[in-house]
Amino acid sequence: MDEAAARQTAEDIENGEKILGAYSAPQPDERVLAEVKKNVVAALRRRRTVVFQRRILGAAVAAAIVVVSVLTLIRYGNPPNSHQTRMVAASIPSRVWEGADDADVTVLKAEIENIQIELSGVQSDDSGNESNDIGDLETELIEVNGDMWKG
Amino acid sequence: MAQRDIDRVIIGCNKGDEGCFTQLVDMYGRRCFGYFYRLTGNRDLSDELLSELFAKLVEKIGTYRGGSFDGWLFTMASNIFHDHLRFKQRQTRLLDEHSKRIMSQSSGVASGYDGDADKLQMALGELDSDVRELVMMRFYSQMSFKEIAESRREPIGTVLSKVHRGLKKLRELMG
Repeated sequence: MDEAAARQTAEDIENGEKILGAYSAPQPDERVLAEVKKNVVAALRRRRTVVFQRRILGAAVAAAIVVVSVLTLIRYGNPPNSHQTRMVAASIPSRVWEGADDADVTVLKAEIENIQIELSGVQSDDSGNESNDIGDLETELIEVNGDMWKG
Repeated sequence: MAQRDIDRVIIGCNKGDEGCFTQLVDMYGRRCFGYFYRLTGNRDLSDELLSELFAKLVEKIGTYRGGSFDGWLFTMASNIFHDHLRFKQRQTRLLDEHSKRIMSQSSGVASGYDGDADKLQMALGELDSDVRELVMMRFYSQMSFKEIAESRREPIGTVLSKVHRGLKKLRELMG
C-alpha cells in the first residue's frame, strides 16, 4: 500500500466511524443496569461460598488422607529389625539341610537356637546397639555355615 | 476514565469488593449494551447478553493480566456473542422451516431488528456478519487494529481491510 492509499484508507475509516458516532445506540434501561448489578453481587457471593466450601472440603480430604495413612502404617507397618531378621534367615542355604550327618544337624540346630535366643534379646533391647549385635550374629552364623561345609 | 482509576477498580474486584464490580457496570454497562445492540438489533437479547457478560466477568476477573482492560472485556463480549450465535444455529437446525421463520422474526440476530431500529441499524444489517462485528468491536472497544488482530488471531492487514471495506460500504448505504 503506497502512502496515498494509506492516507485514503485512514480517511475512510475516520469518516465511517464519525457516522457510527452520530447514530448512537439506544441506552439500556436503568432498571436493567440495576438488575445486572444485583446479579453481579449475587454471582460474587455464590463464588465466595463455593471457594469456602472447596477449602473446607480440601481440608477434610487432607485430614482423611493423614488419618488413613497413619492407621495403615500402624496396621501394616514393618516391625523393627524385620529386615535384618530376613537377611539372617536367607543366609542359610537350603543345601545345608540336605546331605548332612545327623550329628552335624544336631550341632547346627543347637547353634541356631542360640542365635535365635540372642536375636530375640537384640529385638527386645532398646540400648541402640542392635547393629553391632546383628553384626556379631551374622559373623557367628557365617562361621556355623563354614563349619558345616568343612564337615 | 484514566487507566490508573481502572486499575484501582480492578484491584478491588480481584479482592472481591462488591462496590468495585458495580462500579465496572457503571463504567462499561452502556458501552457493552451498545455493542450487543448493534450486533443483534434486539434490546431484550442485548440485556441478556449484558447480564451474561458481567456474570462472566465475576468468574474471570482473576485471569486479567494487565494490558488493555477494554480489549480484554470486549474480547469476552465477542466470545459471548459467538456462543449465542452458535446456540441459535444449533437451535435453528433442530427446527423445521416454519419454526425457523418464526425464530428469525423473533430473535432479531443479524437479520431482523426491533421496530424502532434506526437507519444505521438497518445499514449495519447489510454488512457481512464478520465485517459488522469487526467494525463494532473497533468502535465500542476503541481497541487498536493491532489489538483486534491479536484478539481475533487474524493478520492485521486482514482486519484493517475488512474494517475499511465495512465502513466504506456503511457510508455509501447511509449516503
